[in-house]
Amino acid sequence: MFLTAEEERILDGEEGYARQLAMKIVVKLGEIFSADKLIPITAAHISGASYKTIGDAPIEFLEDLVNNGARACVKATLNPVGFDLQDYKNWSLSKTVIEKQKYIISLYEKLSIEPILSCTPYLLENFRLSLGDHIAFSESSACVYTNSVIGARTNREGGPSALASAIIGKTANYGLHITEMRQPKLLVEVENPPKEYAEFGMLGTYVGRLARDNIPIFQGIRNATNNQLKYLGAGLASTGMVAMFHMLGITPEAKEIDVKEYSEKITVSQDELNNELNKLSTTDNIPDLIFIGCPHCSLQELQEIAAYLRNKKVRTDLKLWVCTSQEIKKSAQQEVEAIENSGAKVICDTCIVVAYLEQLGIKTMMTSSAKAANYTPHFCDIAAVMNTVQGCLDTATTKLKDI
Amino acid sequence: MPLSSVTGRPVVSGKVRGDILFSSEAISFLGGVNPKTGIVIARNHNLEGKSIKDTILVFPHGKGSTVGSYVLYSLVKNNVAPKAIINRIGDPVVVVGAIIGEIPMLIDVDIDLLHDGMTVEVDADQGIIKILD
Repeated sequence: MFLTAEEERILDGEEGYARQLAMKIVVKLGEIFSADKLIPITAAHISGASYKTIGDAPIEFLEDLVNNGARACVKATLNPVGFDLQDYKNWSLSKTVIEKQKYIISLYEKLSIEPILSCTPYLLENFRLSLGDHIAFSESSACVYTNSVIGARTNREGGPSALASAIIGKTANYGLHITEMRQPKLLVEVENPPKEYAEFGMLGTYVGRLARDNIPIFQGIRNATNNQLKYLGAGLASTGMVAMFHMLGITPEAKEIDVKEYSEKITVSQDELNNELNKLSTTDNIPDLIFIGCPHCSLQELQEIAAYLRNKKVRTDLKLWVCTSQEIKKSAQQEVEAIENSGAKVICDTCIVVAYLEQLGIKTMMTSSAKAANYTPHFCDIAAVMNTVQGCLDTATTKLKDI
Repeated sequence: MPLSSVTGRPVVSGKVRGDILFSSEAISFLGGVNPKTGIVIARNHNLEGKSIKDTILVFPHGKGSTVGSYVLYSLVKNNVAPKAIINRIGDPVVVVGAIIGEIPMLIDVDIDLLHDGMTVEVDADQGIIKILD
């Protein structure tokens, strides 16, 4: 692999231990994946922030980086953590958990990683990505979204490699950074186009299982909003190693693609989506938590939920949570008020997959997110019921006697 | 004279001698290995209950969360890390962990030629594993 004189200097340790270590990580991964050179990135997004998921493992490493003066030299943001930092008093968390979680966030902050604590950095006002930008993202749903919907370029990084790239401002040129590697391998003919967010998510979890690490191209969907594509991508990445998809007539890089060239083809009918709904639902029990917002809700989704919940009340025997980022919550004060007046909660900084849910006594969750339904039975030992957003909100606001 | 030798691709350099702890299954370091003790805690794993401390740890490849890299770093800090890591396939989780923990590592190794308990000398500068006993 070709390295510039400056990159060689950093690798030799002339800019200190931390930058040397970061350079070693990026260069070694590049060598393993046969990269020809390093390329500059414009942004990085780093996972590995919830103390519940990561425990003490990264603390010493992050401390060593901080003590050796490491700093992100590009725009860099942090994934969700284990609880809402503004609202955890009722979560029965131990003092240790609260302190360790806050300490981990403070270490990332010292590395100039912005604690947006969200899996949707691309929805934030000052985080604009463009077609062709090279980035290093390590939240799988954000990887798929930025590659597919925006046309920025990232491999499916791990937390440590995205952090290393943020520190040196570069990544190795391989995989999805290269135009030819972004070609689809699998044609997915969709017979009944999905309409609801949940249906897009289930199309994702279904196709992700079949596609594994191949790039699918969807045909047969005439209209799709970015919000819907967000759920499709999150689903794809949660069941497969998919890091990108194309959608004919919709995603920016699908224009050039001739679908006749693809021999590998699958057809998805309504039957498959119905089966997926059953597969993702591990129980028939009435939920004690209804959850919307994996990935984190956009402003538009909050508006839609608020419009439904105005002048309605959430049943008192269950919780309704809507997860989003602090920034979106701040920008949607009226919507948040309408949602919370119903008895629901708008929760920031965390998500169902990485939150301390067990302490809240939650046994069954209903969700409109296929990704969340796919993960929570394994990650949190919580049974899942998959439903549409409408179905979730109906259940949340139906009087007990009507069920 | 060594009985024979096996070659591999160096990832992290270093020369060490030790006994092989062999796993036919992939290892998830996050949740699979206790970072304080070096003992494998993954349920039903073929190494469950065994210590990886000071071994030449041979396994096909890593799996699971990328935070596993930090577990390898902690193992080194707690003096319970393996002396070297030998993998058939280099995957980013273990590769990054070996780099930050400075654990000598070889990948692209035909691990079927190696067995549990063998004494070997790993030369991760040259990419050679000498089988001594």
